[in-house]
Amino acid sequence: MLARSIITDTMIAALSTGGDFAEIFMEDTRGTTLRMLNGSLEEGVSGRDYGVGIRIFQGYRSVYAYTNDASKENLLKVALEAAAALEGTPGLTDIVLNRLVVETFNPIRLEPSSVLHTDKVAVMRRAHGAATGYDQAITQVAITYLDTDQNVLIANSDGLLVEDRRVRTRLGINAVASKGNEKQSAFRGPGAHMGFELFDHIDVEAVARDAARSAVTMVNADYAPSGKYPVIIDNAFGGVIFHEACGHGLEATSVAKGASVFSGKLGQQVASPLVTAVDDGTIPNAWGSQNVDDEGTKTRRNVLIENGILKGYMIDKLNARRMAMEPTGSSRRQSYKYAPTSRMTNTFICAGDSTKEEIIGNTEYALYARHMGGGSVNPATGEFNFAVSEGYIVRNGKIEKPVRGGTLIGQGSQILQKIDMVASNLATGQGMCGSLSGLIPTDVGQPTIRVSEITVGGRKGDN
Amino acid sequence: MDIHEFKGKVFAAGVAAGLQEMEIYFSQSKNFSTRIFQKEVDGYSVSMEQGVGFRARFGGKVGYSYVETLDQESIQLLVEGAKANAQIIDSDDEIEFFSGSAAYPNVAAYNAKLETLPAEEKIEFAKALESEAFASDARVSMVNWAATGYNETEVYIANTKGLEQSFKRNGAYGLVSAVVREGEQVKTSARMVFSNDWEAFDAKKMAGEAVEEATSLLGASSVPSGDYSVLLRHDVAHDLLSTFVSVFSAEAVQKGLSLLAGKLGEQVASSIVTLIDDPLLENGGASASFDGEGVATRTKTVIENGKLKTFLHNLKTAKKDGVESTGNASRASFKAPVGISPTNFFIQPGELSYEDMIKRMGDGLIIIDVQGLHSGANPVSGDFSLGAYGYLVEKGQIVRPVEQITVAGNFFTLLETVEEIGSDLKFGRPSPGGYVGSPTLLVRHLSVAGM
Repeated sequence: MLARSIITDTMIAALSTGGDFAEIFMEDTRGTTLRMLNGSLEEGVSGRDYGVGIRIFQGYRSVYAYTNDASKENLLKVALEAAAALEGTPGLTDIVLNRLVVETFNPIRLEPSSVLHTDKVAVMRRAHGAATGYDQAITQVAITYLDTDQNVLIANSDGLLVEDRRVRTRLGINAVASKGNEKQSAFRGPGAHMGFELFDHIDVEAVARDAARSAVTMVNADYAPSGKYPVIIDNAFGGVIFHEACGHGLEATSVAKGASVFSGKLGQQVASPLVTAVDDGTIPNAWGSQNVDDEGTKTRRNVLIENGILKGYMIDKLNARRMAMEPTGSSRRQSYKYAPTSRMTNTFICAGDSTKEEIIGNTEYALYARHMGGGSVNPATGEFNFAVSEGYIVRNGKIEKPVRGGTLIGQGSQILQKIDMVASNLATGQGMCGSLSGLIPTDVGQPTIRVSEITVGGRKGDN
Repeated sequence: MDIHEFKGKVFAAGVAAGLQEMEIYFSQSKNFSTRIFQKEVDGYSVSMEQGVGFRARFGGKVGYSYVETLDQESIQLLVEGAKANAQIIDSDDEIEFFSGSAAYPNVAAYNAKLETLPAEEKIEFAKALESEAFASDARVSMVNWAATGYNETEVYIANTKGLEQSFKRNGAYGLVSAVVREGEQVKTSARMVFSNDWEAFDAKKMAGEAVEEATSLLGASSVPSGDYSVLLRHDVAHDLLSTFVSVFSAEAVQKGLSLLAGKLGEQVASSIVTLIDDPLLENGGASASFDGEGVATRTKTVIENGKLKTFLHNLKTAKKDGVESTGNASRASFKAPVGISPTNFFIQPGELSYEDMIKRMGDGLIIIDVQGLHSGANPVSGDFSLGAYGYLVEKGQIVRPVEQITVAGNFFTLLETVEEIGSDLKFGRPSPGGYVGSPTLLVRHLSVAGM
């Protein structure tokens, strides 16, 4: 993508004012987004993202610059502009690049660019048909198809040179059910680090019907009772609770500066002994997987919590300096427009011994969150909130009735301690995670779990 | 190559490929940001970015494409991409390429003085944010954000029907977030400023307010669940308004995604509510002389004394409804297709100060922050259920901080039941979705879940 001499000359210029580490991240990305509303293909956009990011470290300091112009003349100019933020004497005057050859564990069979638009639209029509046909209460169905093909080159002044390709494909299904003046929507968004062969792996119709079923169930549901009581959170996308409530607090971004409730707690019991949690960027073709992270470090399986004991963090190069620890292959960014930092890849709570049936059967009263919406967290205080997009009341060991509008709030570290049952049905779901270094694809996951007590916000006073 | 040369080549290649009408939307920006941690420059970023959005009509339908580099390969990608995308469209929406308004308003959004402000001064400001925060209270354990930034963006739109307009804006921001600790308790609070007038940047005031608020939250506990009178402080009120702002879009209305459908001319809010979209606001965060389709912008009253007067339109929705575009076509970026968004969009302030609003409420809760707007609010139904914190008020006096609660309600009901509007109009952060503002609002009967 870039000649070696341009890369090394740019890095030497970047280090001309005392920087001790320089990095170049170049990307050339192609992508397509198609939108269908009520069966009518309304929008098609295809594009090319192209640019170069230059990063310089001096101790704990970091400077970042980016541009769309990859000419040698401009890169040297931008590198010097960034270097001007630092003070010192020139560092390296010679850099020898050694190409790191990465064996891909995310093979791509059907490249998006080789697939006709009409075939992509055909998948969307299948999803639309299945969702619409599910029930007469479905009044609107929006389908989004997207694919991206990101080609990156990463080089640094330690001599690393690596190229990687990330192809991702996703289908988004949003079904709206109406009853009188009321509307409820449900979203499903299966995706993977793969090409168009994604649609050989997922049952498009089943996913679409599930979105429709959820919307119809919720439009007929009563509001969730508010108060503090047990909550059963289902598997797959339910893992968003671990992602938000704990995962963000285990990112070096907040740990390194002592801003996380998990700072300084390695080796301590931070969760119920039933909890083992992992961030694994090496799962073949998973949505959040990458062969190398966005600093060129090979991704790996990082055990975060083992039987309740805090075992590790997710660490990027800059924070690794601050923490005097090794980077963990966890540094990610949305694009060349962002300096990378520690982020999650595919994060999940590991399978336990119970079954989902046992959990429900052993519960006197609880909110059963079958499907979660999104959520957010304040890493400094650990306070989180989540929307329950499909909820039910469990009474006397049985699912009693659907409820809607529930919100879960609490503190991540407390919730972890209160997990009192973990099922064996581990599954994952796909999300887009927004943080300092932009919006990135991540998998969340867990088996069905029970938390002994969470504050549930709803619209009804009693339970 | 430069954008004018690039435009010429793209249009020529488009003609050769059989494209019938074409438009480019070019944006170019310069950005600077810096972040201070423990008196050191912890983050420093400079960038120059550009991008070209392209749309073209082929076989009667319109397709989109975009690129970020102006080279030969990009010309082909734009033309082929837009053509391929046009060929799969089966929507019957009539999309017009606009030839230009008769006149465009003069709108102030660019301050040349700000452009020349040296980086050192911005760094000093961020350092001052941090040191002032530490100086204002011994319980400040860290300042997790002390940052400033600058952005300058120029937009250029041109099409094969003769439209050619450009507009330049700039602005700076400052952000401070303080963490205070007392025993095991940790509280945070932040203050932000967005302006293109550097005089508006007061580090001592911002840091002082953030710390004062954070310390005021120490010792917070929950409240019993129930129905409460609630003051939605101006920042919470504008966050809520901006979450539900799509209900005023004609596109949402026409697609059946807004419960305001069919309510033009009807009372949809309390008679004290007047809602304005004013793109001409001097140095407003979304001020502009033309919209995302090149239509001249103008000021509209969306709700007047509670009555719904207009939806926000672009050319496509206006044609469908048989009205004029309101100049609210938006391009969230050069990558995004034409949509609809408000500009400077705000609830007109009333008479009472924030303190008087507290007295007026009597007993209830002040909500100063809500969490989970992107997940716990449903713009289609208007329902929201959000994590929140603030203060408990008894007999017109704040008695203690409150945390670990959720407030739930419905946006449309809230509009209808606003009992009092404060005089303290404040805006949120400028975004492609508009620059949304509100004063503090008093509402009765919000459902609160706590202990």
